[in-house]
Amino acid sequence: MPRPASFRDRRCRISSRCVRLGLLAALVAAGSVVATRAHVVPPERLHPVAESYRLMGFLLALNPIDWDRVEAASATIGERLLALEPGAGGAYRTAIAERIATLRSAEGTGLSSPAERKAAASEILDRSTRAVVTILERHLRAARAALGDYALATHHLEQARRIWAAFEHEIKATDRRAFLRLGQCWLELVEALGNPGVLGLGAVAADPAAFDEEARELVDYLDLGYGGEILRPARGSLLPLPGHSPTFDPDALVPPKLPPGSELNKQLPRPRQILNMAARGVDESETALIALGDMAFDSSFVFGEPARSLAISCNTCHNKGVTNPGLFIPGLSARRGGLDVSNNYFAPHASNGHLDPVDIPDLRGIRFTAPYGRNGRFDSLREFTRNVIVNEFNGPEPDPVLLDALVAYMLEFDFLPNPSLAPDGSLAAGAPEPAQRGAAIFRRPFEQLGGRSCATCHVPSDSFLDRKRHDIGTVAGAEAHSRDRALDTPTLLGSRHTAPYFHDGSAPTLRAVVEWFDRSYALALGERAISDLTAYLETIGDGVQPYEETTFTLEAEMEEFSFFLSAFEFLAARDERELLDVTFRTVAQEIRAHKWDVQDAAQLPVLDRLAELMDAAVAANGRGDGAAVAARVADYRALYRQNAEHLR
Amino acid sequence: MVTTRTAARVAGVLWLLASTAALGADAAPELRLVFIAYENPDQLVEDVAPVISYLEQALGREVRHFAATDYAGVVEALRNETADAGFMGPLQYVMAHHQAGATPIVGEVYGGSPSYRSRIFVRTDSGIDSLAKVRGRTIAFVDPISSSGYMVPLEIFRGAGLIKQPAKAERFFKRIYFAGGDEQAIRAVYNRFVDAAGVGQYAYGLLRPEERDELVAIAESGPIPSHCVVVRRGLDPELARRLQQALLALGDGSHRELLARLYSVDGYVAVTHETYADVERLARDYGFIED
Repeated sequence: MPRPASFRDRRCRISSRCVRLGLLAALVAAGSVVATRAHVVPPERLHPVAESYRLMGFLLALNPIDWDRVEAASATIGERLLALEPGAGGAYRTAIAERIATLRSAEGTGLSSPAERKAAASEILDRSTRAVVTILERHLRAARAALGDYALATHHLEQARRIWAAFEHEIKATDRRAFLRLGQCWLELVEALGNPGVLGLGAVAADPAAFDEEARELVDYLDLGYGGEILRPARGSLLPLPGHSPTFDPDALVPPKLPPGSELNKQLPRPRQILNMAARGVDESETALIALGDMAFDSSFVFGEPARSLAISCNTCHNKGVTNPGLFIPGLSARRGGLDVSNNYFAPHASNGHLDPVDIPDLRGIRFTAPYGRNGRFDSLREFTRNVIVNEFNGPEPDPVLLDALVAYMLEFDFLPNPSLAPDGSLAAGAPEPAQRGAAIFRRPFEQLGGRSCATCHVPSDSFLDRKRHDIGTVAGAEAHSRDRALDTPTLLGSRHTAPYFHDGSAPTLRAVVEWFDRSYALALGERAISDLTAYLETIGDGVQPYEETTFTLEAEMEEFSFFLSAFEFLAARDERELLDVTFRTVAQEIRAHKWDVQDAAQLPVLDRLAELMDAAVAANGRGDGAAVAARVADYRALYRQNAEHLR
Repeated sequence: MVTTRTAARVAGVLWLLASTAALGADAAPELRLVFIAYENPDQLVEDVAPVISYLEQALGREVRHFAATDYAGVVEALRNETADAGFMGPLQYVMAHHQAGATPIVGEVYGGSPSYRSRIFVRTDSGIDSLAKVRGRTIAFVDPISSSGYMVPLEIFRGAGLIKQPAKAERFFKRIYFAGGDEQAIRAVYNRFVDAAGVGQYAYGLLRPEERDELVAIAESGPIPSHCVVVRRGLDPELARRLQQALLALGDGSHRELLARLYSVDGYVAVTHETYADVERLARDYGFIED
């Protein structure tokens, strides 16, 4: 093992290096320690009380409110409060339980009004806010009482500090001065604990007076902002604002934030995407409209708030045009891989007022799968796409060129090749025997299905769909005998790699789908037939190399960003400044999101420079300086060309 | 943490009694390992269970383990002989060596290296682009008894000629804070509670990806030997050697799952007291050890 250099030698090296190379080298060094694939954003690690409170604040602003989750979150808060202050804990739990029970009862009988729902949500959040403040203060008090017992005092102070995170996001945005001062309070409190040293050496005594002073400032602030009358933001989240603080800024905006438990990371390895023109060997630099569509598909700037601030794009749900089986937002998802896109969080104006999350559909082969939407409500892909932008994710009315581009891009999405399928959708020769037996069952008419077979709707020769809507019994209707349960027949191509199934993702496997039909329609298939039919579905739903071979995605991403920029000349010639702005912003944002994936940290400055060139292009475009815009794009292309082989 | 340490001591005594009773037979005496738990000690004890099974097989004896929530607990367990071996940082090792005769057997390899560095971080928008510009500003370190989170970052300033003696550091900075952890220290500068932070290099990775661009390192130290596994004074040298071999063998490429449970290290390298000579010199300089 190499012996470390002496500290004296090291000091010399450090000082000269810092002077010579300055910030750039230091940043490289900083990046070198970061694990790869950091665009997999880790979950925020919160104290259970802070986590429950933040989740509750998000849920209570939704319509409808997921009372089960609210109840679970309040139970966590109540349990902690009960342990620290039994009287207050008991009162809190009883009050919340009664309020939720009343609301549930009213909702069950259709007697609750929006005003009642909002009043209940407000009351529950107010009580929970005071409960969280009480828990925090009790931990501070316990830390004070334990001064001298370093470990115990540290434990309580750490609990208090982590619970503080329940309020930190709003305070940071709206009461900057207090945020900074109180942040220093927490540091001072740590200092006031003293230090036990190791085996007596390095010990520092606790400082009760300093502790009291800092703790008092924190408690006073909490009582002022959250202990009595609670101020709320005018819209959006219910989470309270510290409006009674003298330094509160009423015009400050609180950045959107998803609740704990949310998961927006994309799947790794990524699904393999096949763009038809690329598969045909077309030079991508000559397909400007498709390139623009690819950019728009990856751009959160196409959407409005809050999706834009949360960096949500089409690609967030449809990774590489497929699905995102891990996606989850509490209160808006019933299960992983699904989302309610007619909710009041992403687009309040277009909310339908009820929770109806749908499993994210695979977009492969989308030009063959009209109509669109789980219930087939749009015959036109263009209309469907506009609706996603404007009414699901609150975006501005899209430029017609942008809409054309998105459609042009999606029309290139190909199904995975499947050597087990003949052109007419029948099984190719040599398919496994169970699959062949399953094919016969698939085509067999069942009396229980009205004389129809699986193949009646999933027509093998037409991409395994019939372009019709059917009520097969998977949807709970609005009322008895209602006619609102029909869904568009989905293709089965590629389905082996897009679990879960059904419109709501309620079937985790293809076998579960077969079993559901067997059970729901009393088909009496038996074990062997179920297995054979499953084997058939798995065979026709398979495809060649469904996922990319690597989990390192930077190289492919950087190539894709160059593809985005290949639309530059097309857009510049039409003086499409807004679309140029979206393009440059998207490339800059995407580089910054993906740069931590780089395997050689020495390349980070190159990635930063590329992002900065896009920033400069945004600025020049804003000034209407076309020559400067073109120069920055040329700089980007040149720098990328020089370094492409290292940006992996 | 005292509660845990006390429990650990009590448990150690009980295990000692139990093992003494068991020694009535010919069974080899058990080995007792103390881990450092940065967060949840119960979870750590559970997580490392497969590693314990591996060691039991490799050493041909029962291995008991428990977790302490701070390094002082690990060092005390070795001194009190309630543990035979433990995991600790380089500064804690040299203190344990001087006060309790402990000896290191292996050092961790992390990120492909048996050493790591300290760095001075500031916000990119702070206007601070040199160590000299930290003069009269606030700084957060991790803990006063820490190599990478205090001594070494302070040495960066001393090496640049900005601080003459550690005891006079307060004259250079407006205020020194000990934030209580790497993440707390680097978050203190990220959130602008302080102007700079002196932390181990891995603190940077504790920030969320979208936060990292707001900080920049303006200086870094030379390599600091990684955290290590240390055996107590008086442990059978043959047992210590076999433990060392067993831990070294974990890095042969076939035990990734076990290493992931051992602080996610890549493996181990053999170390001796000499490996920590620079840390020892600094520790003496800072008054953490006395001759």
